[in-house]
Amino acid sequence: MNRVLRVLLIVAAIAMVAFLAFLYVPVQRTPAQMVLAADYAVPEGAGAYAMRIADCAACHTAEGGQPFAGGRAIISPVGTIYSSNITPDPETGVGRYTLSEFRAALYDGVRPDGSHLYPAMPYENYRKLTEQDIRALYSYFQNDVPPVKATQPLNDLAFPFNLSWGLRAWKWVALGEPGFTARSSDADLARGQYLVEGPGHCGACHSPRNALMAQAALTGADPAFLSGGQIAGWTAPPLRGAISAIQGWSAHDITLILATARNAHSAINGEMQLVVRDSSQYMTDGDLTAIAAYLGALNQRAPKPAAEGQTDTEKLLISADPSMDLGPRLYLDNCAACHFTNGRGADEVFPELDGSSLVTAESPTGLISMILQGGELPSTAVRPARLRMPGFAYRLSDDEVATLATFLRQAWSNNTDAVTVDEVSGLRQLDTAN
Amino acid sequence: MARTDPKKDVVIIGLGWTGSILGMELAQEGLEILALERGPDRETVPDFEYPKVIDELKYGIRLGFMQKPKKSTLTIRRTLDEVAQPYRRLGSFLPGDGVGGAGIHWNGQTWRPLEIELRLKSYVEETFGAATIPDGMTIQDWGVNYDEMEPYFDRFEYMAGIAGKAGNIKGEIQAGGNPFEAPRSRDFPMPPMKQGVDAQMFAKTASALGLHPFPRPSANATQSYVNEYGMQLGPCNYCGFCERYGCANYSKSSPQTCILDALKRMPNFSYKVNSEVLKIELAEDGKTATGVTYFDEAAQEEVFQPADLVIVAAYSLHNVHLMLLSGIGEPWDPVQQTGTTGKNYSYQMNGATSLFFKDVEFNPFAAAGSNGISIDDYAISQIDFAKEGFIGGSYITAGISNGQPIRGISLPEGTPSWGASWKQGIGDWYGHAMSIGSHGSNMAYRDCYLDLDPTYTDPHGRSLMRMTFNWKDNDIRMTQFMRSKIEPIAEAMQPDSWQSSYKAEGAQYDVRPYQTTHNVGGAIMGTDPKTSSLNRYLQAWGQHNVFVMGASAFPQNIQYNPTGMVGALAYWAADAIRNDYLPNPRPLV
Amino acid sequence: MPQFPFHRTRRSFLAGTAAGAALSVLAFQARAQAAKEVPLAEYTPEYLSPAEYAFVMAATARLIPSEGDGPGALDARVPVFIDRQLAGDFGIAADLYMEGPFNPEADPNLGTQTALPPAEIYRQGIPAFDIWCADTQGGLFADLDTDAQDIALTALSNGEVGLSADLREFWSLLLQNTKEGYFCDPQYGGNAGMESWVYIGFPGARGNFDDWVGRQEVYPLGPVNIAGERA
Repeated sequence: MNRVLRVLLIVAAIAMVAFLAFLYVPVQRTPAQMVLAADYAVPEGAGAYAMRIADCAACHTAEGGQPFAGGRAIISPVGTIYSSNITPDPETGVGRYTLSEFRAALYDGVRPDGSHLYPAMPYENYRKLTEQDIRALYSYFQNDVPPVKATQPLNDLAFPFNLSWGLRAWKWVALGEPGFTARSSDADLARGQYLVEGPGHCGACHSPRNALMAQAALTGADPAFLSGGQIAGWTAPPLRGAISAIQGWSAHDITLILATARNAHSAINGEMQLVVRDSSQYMTDGDLTAIAAYLGALNQRAPKPAAEGQTDTEKLLISADPSMDLGPRLYLDNCAACHFTNGRGADEVFPELDGSSLVTAESPTGLISMILQGGELPSTAVRPARLRMPGFAYRLSDDEVATLATFLRQAWSNNTDAVTVDEVSGLRQLDTAN
Repeated sequence: MARTDPKKDVVIIGLGWTGSILGMELAQEGLEILALERGPDRETVPDFEYPKVIDELKYGIRLGFMQKPKKSTLTIRRTLDEVAQPYRRLGSFLPGDGVGGAGIHWNGQTWRPLEIELRLKSYVEETFGAATIPDGMTIQDWGVNYDEMEPYFDRFEYMAGIAGKAGNIKGEIQAGGNPFEAPRSRDFPMPPMKQGVDAQMFAKTASALGLHPFPRPSANATQSYVNEYGMQLGPCNYCGFCERYGCANYSKSSPQTCILDALKRMPNFSYKVNSEVLKIELAEDGKTATGVTYFDEAAQEEVFQPADLVIVAAYSLHNVHLMLLSGIGEPWDPVQQTGTTGKNYSYQMNGATSLFFKDVEFNPFAAAGSNGISIDDYAISQIDFAKEGFIGGSYITAGISNGQPIRGISLPEGTPSWGASWKQGIGDWYGHAMSIGSHGSNMAYRDCYLDLDPTYTDPHGRSLMRMTFNWKDNDIRMTQFMRSKIEPIAEAMQPDSWQSSYKAEGAQYDVRPYQTTHNVGGAIMGTDPKTSSLNRYLQAWGQHNVFVMGASAFPQNIQYNPTGMVGALAYWAADAIRNDYLPNPRPLV
Repeated sequence: MPQFPFHRTRRSFLAGTAAGAALSVLAFQARAQAAKEVPLAEYTPEYLSPAEYAFVMAATARLIPSEGDGPGALDARVPVFIDRQLAGDFGIAADLYMEGPFNPEADPNLGTQTALPPAEIYRQGIPAFDIWCADTQGGLFADLDTDAQDIALTALSNGEVGLSADLREFWSLLLQNTKEGYFCDPQYGGNAGMESWVYIGFPGARGNFDDWVGRQEVYPLGPVNIAGERA
């Protein structure tokens, strides 16, 4: 007994020492993963481009705010986080960051004072940034952005998320090895892999999260990577696997939707609109082609065979038979004007509903929200039109939205679960509250 | 006291089709541009949002997208000795206002004029003798010819995304198209529209009679389309709410669907709405414009906006009004026949025969603005003016553009306009009527013109413009000729009954029923500063930094809807400004 | 599946169309309210006096009578529509050019020239017409039997009731407004239950007939209105 107690005390002492070390030993900053020449100079334009491919603006510029002055509210289940000021202002921004401190923020999620950044900052993915891109970003945020003196509202988080040791522990579990390793000698595939896994941080939304809310996989070698996630209740569709949203898409389809938010099949919705608006539309043709090549390689399946002739759904809709059920009737009265009776819409203007990842997503949140509130495509250089779908909240009751959404999820070749009235009511109340 | 804003390189008056085109073309030159639009801003969503825009009362009847006479109108008289009265409520024609202008609420019928129409006076004199032109008729040549305009028609049609079937490509006649049209360099960018039952019946009968039916060219898209600016159209779904409405489906070509989102990305372009230009200001010597004065509704003050180049791109009537108010050109004097501003206002001579078939379902609500089948066998180029005793021509079309019930349900002659029989009539005949219409030229006359009204003023205290216009024998003979050609076609279609409506001898202009918003002339282009307001590049003869777009440049009206010509002229003028004027600002002729 | 725990505020990507979202619940409640309409006889006019309302009820009932196929003007609640129009921008000629001098006697082809806005034309036109009805038909219009009412309306339509030039448009306004109320979207108070659309086979605010162009058969589906109600 005495012996057992002694062992326990020793174990407890060791644990206490370890915990104190955990709390008080300074965090390590990951060093540069590559040594650049002493006279290395960031190429002209590389800073702004790195900012685009890493999509810094999306979070660090508030809606209508000064560029990169932070303050955008980021909603999380445990409270609201406000993005930080990354302008070179020395007091409130990153003006006093050394290169090493700047790199640590991107690789390790650590501030110069050793405090931890919340993983709303995708350092899980930014750990793969090349030293050239780190230097480009550092140069950009030190030299090319006007300093703005701006502090953010204090993060409003509940215990224990307001304590940084929790984050430190989380990182031990969540973070992978720093640096990037290409799995292909093909230059396009390697570049595509880098952009998708690293700066593009696609996995932050499109990969599932594990029980600790960490990305379930950080590299394409793991089949969980890009196998679909959720954000704000919307499905971030799987980009590989049996129900890949981009199955059968050509490389052109992929580059076009990243450059313009629209293609022959689909239109960008939800948070992805901001990605196109602030990031992917600025990517070079070469980088878009590389991403398309890489995503294409993750989707080696044959495209779905095109439906032959008219589906039963289309025949029913074309008949305009007054005895049809409420679902198809609602479709004719609200949707068919743009998406047509074959559910195929029109290239680059009206998205396909037959086979749509939004319509058939596991969670119907995105579909319901789209019906209630509509959507808007960002203006891009190649496709400037801000095409909009109006919302139908004023026109459809919760019952009707549920009936319509259920119809859509089971029309043509779609075959997904029904939507309940409660799901619609909840979202309508939420939107009203917002 | 007027505010003065910092100078711009270019000020554009009006942000409809031509203002948007010139805005884009000149923005590409890197010039600092401000467009001033007197009406509100408008975008597809929310302004034309499905299904809220499908509101016949609000837009089709109360004319929600049109100018409000309270803010801007004109006076009208038929003869030189009549006292003109204000056009208090819109009727005969419906000028639009707001961003997009008439480009949002048109039907989308997009034609090119015939080669001879651009040199009409010369053609008549050479072919039939100068004596064919009656006294008082003041037709002129345009100063441009079809061949030099062809690339600009092509440019506009590909920018706007027109659906149709060519009838003549580089001189080779194409089966299924209009064999009488002027040669095109290539086919339309999109295939033609689907045709309704009425148009199909008309096509069949016309073919059987040896005529040459073809699908009407349409600015209602038939497939997804991307234009030179990356702007997009989606296929028309035949909603039946086209003319008087903005398109809910991104299907109708308009500044909104074809230009504006691209133009708004240009950092050197900006626009202001609710900003009506009151006057174009001239330098002391009168030889150049110094800018414009406009009323800023938000600030409730007059603003002087200096600019090096003034593009007048309002609706045709307002272009002329501004020129009259600003002293650009001498006003036309119909007695002395001197001056140019306001000269040769002309309109459009249309007629129709209605056909009733009790056993045919036309489903008139399944319609687009410009589907339909036309024939051009009686075009202005196909008629012997000396023999027939008139100058002019028409195209003829069957094509139902809507089935909106308030705007009118065609009922057989003798049906009362109210009471039990009327109600029975609408039940019996809605969806069982069609029509064959003629859309014809209107010549210019000495006493059909625009000047300033001596009595009435607008909210800014400016004189209203006065229109003097009436129907003339020449054009009435033309429309009666069309009647004589249409009625046999109608009879051959074997309806249960039919009835005709064409202007007859003695017809007086009536401003109340809607006729057409093809008001042309008043700031006409030509070859001689004594007889025209603008040179062949739409440049004011007297003020080289003023260019005037729009159908006000037409010396007389063509037999077709004007937008194709208006769009081509805008690109033609833009080209001259970019390549010739900007490097060396001066009179280009 | 655990959700990505961080996302930006919803507004950011709903910006284009979310402005109306907050109102959607209210708007929907309003639609439900509109369905509970008071009977025509109990309707409290916004503009018309009781006598004027009685005239409009009686006149529209003859312009589009209830007997025979299809709804009549009263079934379609046309009087409610007319009252609401006269109480609004249409009634006060909000869009029209109303500066003098006015020459109401000008040639009719030159369009309306009265100084009276439409609501005032009704206000002065109804008693003027009633005087004619009393003189020739023996009573106020609303009190006449239907045959006499039809005779009176025929005379009115022919310009034979001695109205002043300022009231020249009374007949055309009355008839036009009646047909407007018969066929308008129900949000304006007329075309109750969309029965007028059903009667003639007009499908309302569906705006989508791609599959029906050139198809020679009866379109069978009933209408929908802008609020999304079906008939």
